[in-house]
Amino acid sequence: MRVPFRQIAVCLTLAATVGRLDAQEQVLRPQPMPDAPASEYRPLPRQDTLLVGATILDGAGGRLIGDVLVRDGKIVSVGQFPEAQNVTRIDATGRWITPGLIDVHTHYGTFLLPQGGSREDFSDVTENSGPNAADSWVEYAVRSSDPAFAYALAGGVTTAQILPGSAVIISGRSVVVHTIPSPTLAQMRFPDAPQGLKMACGTNAVEQSSFPTSRQGQIAGLRRALREGQEYIQAQSGAVDGKGKGRRRGGDGGPGNPRAATIAGAIEGKLPVHLHCYRADDIANWIAVLQEYGIKRITVHHAAEAYKIAPLLAKKGICAAVWPDWWGFKRDAEDGIPENAAFLDAAGACTMMHSDIPVLGSLLNIEAAKAAAAGRRAGLDVPPEKAIRWITSNPARSLGLEDRLGTIAPGMNADLVLWSGDPFSVLSKPDLVFIDGAIAYDRANKSRQPTSDFEVGRPQRERVE
Amino acid sequence: MRLLLLLLAIVISTPVRAETIAITNARLMDGDRDEPGMTIVLKDERILSVSRGGPIPSGARIVDAAGRPVTPSLAAAATQIGIVGIGSAEDTRDEAVTSGPAGAGFDISRAVDANDLTIQEARAQGLASAMIYPDAGNGVFAGKGAMLHLVPGRDPVSMADAAMFAAPSGKKAGGSRAAAWTLIRNGLTEARRPASPANGPRDDLLDPLDIEALRPVAAGRIPLAITANRESDIRQAIALAKDYGIRVVVVGGAEAWRVASALASSRIPVIIDPLDDLPFSYDAVGARRDNAAILAKAGVPIAFMVSAQGIYLSYDVGPALREGAGIAVANGLSRGEALRAITTAPSQVWTGRPPSGLVAGAAADLVVWDGDPLEPSSAPSRVFIAGREVSPVTRQTLLRDRYHPSRSGDALPPAYR
Repeated sequence: MRVPFRQIAVCLTLAATVGRLDAQEQVLRPQPMPDAPASEYRPLPRQDTLLVGATILDGAGGRLIGDVLVRDGKIVSVGQFPEAQNVTRIDATGRWITPGLIDVHTHYGTFLLPQGGSREDFSDVTENSGPNAADSWVEYAVRSSDPAFAYALAGGVTTAQILPGSAVIISGRSVVVHTIPSPTLAQMRFPDAPQGLKMACGTNAVEQSSFPTSRQGQIAGLRRALREGQEYIQAQSGAVDGKGKGRRRGGDGGPGNPRAATIAGAIEGKLPVHLHCYRADDIANWIAVLQEYGIKRITVHHAAEAYKIAPLLAKKGICAAVWPDWWGFKRDAEDGIPENAAFLDAAGACTMMHSDIPVLGSLLNIEAAKAAAAGRRAGLDVPPEKAIRWITSNPARSLGLEDRLGTIAPGMNADLVLWSGDPFSVLSKPDLVFIDGAIAYDRANKSRQPTSDFEVGRPQRERVE
Repeated sequence: MRLLLLLLAIVISTPVRAETIAITNARLMDGDRDEPGMTIVLKDERILSVSRGGPIPSGARIVDAAGRPVTPSLAAAATQIGIVGIGSAEDTRDEAVTSGPAGAGFDISRAVDANDLTIQEARAQGLASAMIYPDAGNGVFAGKGAMLHLVPGRDPVSMADAAMFAAPSGKKAGGSRAAAWTLIRNGLTEARRPASPANGPRDDLLDPLDIEALRPVAAGRIPLAITANRESDIRQAIALAKDYGIRVVVVGGAEAWRVASALASSRIPVIIDPLDDLPFSYDAVGARRDNAAILAKAGVPIAFMVSAQGIYLSYDVGPALREGAGIAVANGLSRGEALRAITTAPSQVWTGRPPSGLVAGAAADLVVWDGDPLEPSSAPSRVFIAGREVSPVTRQTLLRDRYHPSRSGDALPPAYR
């Protein structure tokens, strides 16, 4: 059913809705990897719904007052529907609706709450036995009932990417999930979402006594991995055309090498690359090498200095995930500024917020509010309808899900947040959070507020007198 | 020469003569007060008058607030500005001692770097005062915190030895928090004994440096700050205050809401992080966002710190405090209480003296905001500390200006801007 979408170039879909994707290169919607596991997620029980009279930030840059009609888990239309039949009507007058928020950078379930016990009890972020862990998948470490998922959901986050850590230059595949705690990861897995491939530049991924011990060593390691991926692709195509062309039995890029298979997936556009990288010089180096090998869909995370090279990122179609007010905690992050996101956006780069830590995972709207306000004070035009893209349609694009998520438009998944007020006010809260048209969180109804197994039966959480 | 020294002494001891400033058309927000059309006159580091449209001394520089909110300047009840700069650079970090003999006697005030960017930034963000605290290092006593007053050009330390910090952590006491409580109690007991040459080193667990440092705590002159989140530890802190008749401040207090009435009747203040709601540790399983509202309703004195896993302990303290206060309001705290918790309450918590706020005679520390101060998207438009206007320029704003999109067509690279 969604197959036709997959052939559509991102530029076409987003140009129609967002109208500001300035990437010069067209980036194809990622095909899932052939070995990607199937999702066992099922939407919650749902009813067709009409949300009436809200201020709608559509995630595509638009703002209007109107109704949102949801049927069978999809957005049917946006406008006025006084005649709609067989729907549950929700009076949203005076409230705001946004797409469900998307967090491209979490360590949920692998930097597990509470962070007690030995390190092995709560931290499974990176396989760091070698510089290239492309064959490790962080999903195998995820504790799917991490309490943090439900807090993110209550904060309006409907989709989250769980990334491996930054301790090695290539730390493996990510997984994209819905934020409803479940007994298994497969039940949270976003159906048909591409996995991502995590990489890391800079300080975190430099080793004391084993390769790579330097930034130049990291680039050497990156090239080594990319060459393996290329060889893998050549070997595969040789196998397909029957001539064995490019096949090197026993070579690093041979068909039996799962690391090379993953890198090949990134080169072929099946795995969006997510690069942890703070400094402008590092970012420029890494994206030059990645693009040399044909990798197009790249998001730079924690990009504290991205504003210094905003036009470059815009030109190359690179996304950047930034914080509004984190800097100084290490040298790589000394030059962060609150206007980072606004400067990137002004240059036409695909810009987004991200949480990294669970405290911020339920405050993404406030992160965007701070970044937008800083931009306005610097004289840039950053109204709410623009800033909302930083936590909706732009992260959807980063994840390769822009044809289903991040905008309120006909045919899109009905992942929606009904806010008590302006989502960029600290006083507003999600009243209702919909995932695939079903109420996943209801602030007024305890029975629609998921909690983790961890929290069950803990006396500390019970009311006193 | 003597005359010269005398003159020098006079110059040094005289308050800096700042200009007289009249802030007009201010929407004065101070605790529960919210009054438009106010005029606030600042002279010689203090507030000369606060009145509705009231008299403006001749020669005063007029700052038109244009109806914008004016609050007392921000205060951080527990922070590490000036003592932790770059997290990964050891020569910019002085917050804890993990080896050597220093314990309770560790005096953090001697490490404060007035030129640290965290102080420059905090000032521009509207923060005028703060308690800086040592992290637990060698044992259960982390050392002595200091109060800062961020008057530009002056030593920021306004009160050294302002509080003793202790952590009832099993890790710091050989493996059990019970032992930590025993050691904290023993410290106070030893500090109660008169100094006597008859007491040899073997009579005390603590060394003379630590005992001296604990005497003002045992005498009730400065508070003992106990960093604790778990209900059982908070109850121990209450019992300690009662048994020793000392002043106790609980820092952290994730589960303090469960002990609200006991804290209120013991008049023990709690410094909480209003962003806490996750079960981040087993000690904080009971964390919840209406902690502040429950405590305030019960009558517990509260003030705020905001950490976010340490990110905001040195950087962006100002906006983080306001975000925390806003979140507390969104979860049931009154606006007045929330504003107090990040302006006047911290000094009350630490010194025990009632806050003055924006009244005649009070320190001229105040901020004109470009919007609701409890919205993190607002920012200061003017900051005054000790009656002087503070520069809004920071390293971050200079980087902003260097790389502003309007400069992208410049012929020369950013290094020339």
